[in-house]
Amino acid sequence: MVNDMRKAAGMRSPRAMARDRIIAPVDGLLRRAGMLSVAAGLVWPVQAAAIAWAVAGWVGGDADAARTLTAAGIIAAGGILRAALDHRAGALLFRAADATVARERRALIGREARAVTGAGSAAIASLAVQKLPLLQPWITRYHVAMTRVSVLPPVLLVLAFCLSWVVGLTLLVAGPLIPLFMALVGMAAEQASRRQMSEIGTMNEMLMDQLAALSDIRLLGATERAATGFADRAEGLRQRTMAVLRIAFLSSTVLELFSALGVAMVAVFVGFTLLGEIGFGSWGTPLTLAEGLFLLLIAPEFFQPLRDLSAAWHDRAAGFAVVEELEALDAAERVSMIGDGRDAVPLPGAFALRLSGAVAALPGRRVRLPDLEVAVGGIVAVTGPSGAGKSTTLAAIAGLVPLDAGRIAVCGTDLTPDTADAWRARLAFVPQRPHFPDLPLRAWLDPRGTGADPWPALRMADACRIVERLPAGLDTRLGESGGGVSGGEARRLMLARAVMAGGDLILADEPTADLDGATAARIIASLRRIAQAGRAVVVATHDPALIAAADARARVSG
Amino acid sequence: MTRMLRLVRLLIGAAPGAMMRGAALSVIVLLMGAALLGLSGWFITATGVAGLAGIGIAFDVFRPSAGVRFLALGRTAARYGERLLTHDAILHALAALRVAILRRHAGLDARALARLRGETILTRMIADVDALDGLILRLVLPVAAGLVTQLAALAALWWLVGPSVALTVAAVLLPGAVIVLTWLARRTLRPADMAERGAQALRRGMIDMIRDREALILAGRLPARETALTEIDDAARRDAATLDRVERRAGLVMSALVALAVAGALVAGGALVENVGPARAAIGLFVALALAETLLPLRRGLAEIGRLAGAARRIGPDRGRPAPDARPELPDRPDLAVSRPDIAFTLGPGQALALTGPSGAGKSTLLLAVAAMLPGDGIRIAGRPPCEWNEASLRARVVMLPQRSALIGGTIRENLTLAGDFDDDALWAVLDVVALTPAIRERGGLDARLAEGGAGLSGGQAKRLALARSLLPRPQILLLDEPTEGLDPDTADAVLSNIRAFLPDAAILTAMHRGQDHPVFDACVALSQPGSR
Repeated sequence: MVNDMRKAAGMRSPRAMARDRIIAPVDGLLRRAGMLSVAAGLVWPVQAAAIAWAVAGWVGGDADAARTLTAAGIIAAGGILRAALDHRAGALLFRAADATVARERRALIGREARAVTGAGSAAIASLAVQKLPLLQPWITRYHVAMTRVSVLPPVLLVLAFCLSWVVGLTLLVAGPLIPLFMALVGMAAEQASRRQMSEIGTMNEMLMDQLAALSDIRLLGATERAATGFADRAEGLRQRTMAVLRIAFLSSTVLELFSALGVAMVAVFVGFTLLGEIGFGSWGTPLTLAEGLFLLLIAPEFFQPLRDLSAAWHDRAAGFAVVEELEALDAAERVSMIGDGRDAVPLPGAFALRLSGAVAALPGRRVRLPDLEVAVGGIVAVTGPSGAGKSTTLAAIAGLVPLDAGRIAVCGTDLTPDTADAWRARLAFVPQRPHFPDLPLRAWLDPRGTGADPWPALRMADACRIVERLPAGLDTRLGESGGGVSGGEARRLMLARAVMAGGDLILADEPTADLDGATAARIIASLRRIAQAGRAVVVATHDPALIAAADARARVSG
Repeated sequence: MTRMLRLVRLLIGAAPGAMMRGAALSVIVLLMGAALLGLSGWFITATGVAGLAGIGIAFDVFRPSAGVRFLALGRTAARYGERLLTHDAILHALAALRVAILRRHAGLDARALARLRGETILTRMIADVDALDGLILRLVLPVAAGLVTQLAALAALWWLVGPSVALTVAAVLLPGAVIVLTWLARRTLRPADMAERGAQALRRGMIDMIRDREALILAGRLPARETALTEIDDAARRDAATLDRVERRAGLVMSALVALAVAGALVAGGALVENVGPARAAIGLFVALALAETLLPLRRGLAEIGRLAGAARRIGPDRGRPAPDARPELPDRPDLAVSRPDIAFTLGPGQALALTGPSGAGKSTLLLAVAAMLPGDGIRIAGRPPCEWNEASLRARVVMLPQRSALIGGTIRENLTLAGDFDDDALWAVLDVVALTPAIRERGGLDARLAEGGAGLSGGQAKRLALARSLLPRPQILLLDEPTEGLDPDTADAVLSNIRAFLPDAAILTAMHRGQDHPVFDACVALSQPGSR
């Protein structure tokens, strides 16, 4: 039963997903734009008639200037009207596409940092910034082309039939071949687009990681290998892009061929009829020059909407590929944070923290957390073998990973989505791997934006000299993983930041890693000072010196 | 502007033959389009005249009708060839440019590399390079082909119909187009650049937000960051809306210009009917109608100039192909000698040395200098400063494990084979050396996937995986910066002994805080003088 439902959900066609998600919200705008565009298309037969009428006048011998001027006026006025209608339709379409991209982007911005998936940050950023705009050509072109196709060719066909059934028949036969061919190409195009789309994402992802690992790559002597690997990837992307383009070009060429042949046949037929060599094809009276010219002028316009639609078919294929990616991301398994990540008033009440029977839920893995109780004024060391879940324990205390079972009691209440933000306002976290965002040190050191003086905190973490030595001091922007300072220095800066954040609890993941014995001892001493000043400290560590300095120990067994 | 010209030369230079053929074809497409409409119009009118005059039999219908068919088919074929050639050539050029940017960044020294921000270069390599296809495909080629076609069409009109028709069409189209397109380019310069910058800022911001999420959540700043990103997006989309508005307005004026040119050609042609006959008089208006195709596509490219200029600026100068590395090859089994006022030692094959000293004393700097990633005095490998040896030969023999090494997203195997191709036995052998085998088996073996940046391993495991990666090429000089950090003492001892056993002949220089009394080390030297970095 459940399986059937899932199957039904999985079988939802891209078309249905796209309609519900992208088109339905902007349907009204698309309809209005379609009507304006159809109106613009209907101006052309009038202009064509004016041209035919004027030129026929020249041949008839009465080349009076008034007739030519009148026709010229109609042509000019018609052209301006047509341009104005198209202009207005374009404005509506832009609005529709813009609203869609804005909505989808907002959803990604508001979700992807809260609940992470396996997808990398570069892939998500490329979806939001590089791929979402691909919805725009689809929205702005496909539906309007569809509306035009349903009105303009039939109208022109009726006009052609009124004048000559042979011309009408020629158009009638050549016309429908276009949508038929288009449907065949459409399928191939969709597949090619999807492959191209996924190649874009993978290439971004791979590049992002390789760029972060660039100095490792060089030190391993792998620069050439990485560059070659990337060149292969770039070449692969080029081939996939060319595959999409080749289908697009080929189909538009074939369509152009149909339309060119159709127009050429009309021209030749009209020519022979006017010469009197063909006596059939019109209704009773022979075709006049004006009628012939008119037919010649409207024939290309009969094919144009069909060709526009086929071009837009590729935009639609690209749009579908984007929608599928969006849907896949919606359905991905996520690790959600608890709470909102909002700046909140610290949780009231006396400080308390107790883990009992807690099990953290990681993707595909359950991690049993140790039972422990933390009070102010002491250091608790979480120990255990590498990879057993020391860092996960700290993350769970901070409400960064959800629990599967058990509870975490904080300050007389439970850690729940309602209390998580207020609870976090009482703690600070020192992560294991340094990651510095693109901010000056001054702003980075002050995560809550209090504007307080950072120097006392830097002194406490033994980090004053590090900042003094940096060329731009507190205005320095460090590299992503702390480039510009040594490993030990990055660690001390992160400690200073935690001290500065205030609160009753400092969670520190391996705070003495990368530090020499003397500096580690100083860090342990300052952790002790912090504890004695009335805060609680929880460290994940296997540094014997730090374990020895702790007041209590809890072992993760994995 | 000069940057853009240089890029134009670079992009065209990547495949000059294909580009020139493409350019020629794009002129042919436009010319055939104008000729097709002109010929058809003339043909119909002329047959009408002949029919009325009753001389239908004498009229040569075959050559014109064959001409119509030839132009129709030829134009279609030429357009297909033009599109395929130019797109393929430009995509080749862009792929090569991307690789060149990656290489340029890989060649930087350690300090510059450490300060690199992945997101910034990523946007440069993806978005900025992508933008450049417009430079050729939507700006240079269409403008050149449009101009050539216009001039050719006007010359033909002058000759076939008469100067008055040619001049009327030219007087409306040429100055009008120049004014509108200049206005368009000027008005879009800023919004186009700003919209692109906004998009790039959004891309960087999203990557930063997701990578930095834990810190943002803990600081209670996540909603604020989300709002900031939304504002960046709003501003970028406002600029895009301005761009769209200006572009559509230009399109409106240009469409109107074409209608005016057709009307003008009709009036001027009407005045010439007496002299050249109705059929030739009609050619002008049909050609004017066809010339729309040379004008309307130009607005996209001109509206992009701002974006292109920004991209060209960010990509920076291309120094062309790097010169071949002419430095001498590092000989086999080199030795290392350091002699500086603060530290002096020599290290030969099979020896191991522990380098100690307080945080910030310059241990990492010394190792990086030995690895030729930073300038440094008093260091000799096989008797010469490290940076005087051929880069490839140096890297083949000297490998360094930096203090904070980065893993990549992908499988364990992909992480290990970053340095070269190795079979599974070799991979498991180094995993044994660093005592990771049980942990990796538990995760599903060599094909277990790590998330972005190698996330999914604990700090100690990640360090050991990076260590295993640097052992794989079996270097002759191995530089290790804190290889046992994050390991419990027993594992650390075992790993050090295993490394020695795995590379018995290598010279090993290890910077470390703890465990320098391990029996693998022949000696221990201390760096005491702080502030050398």
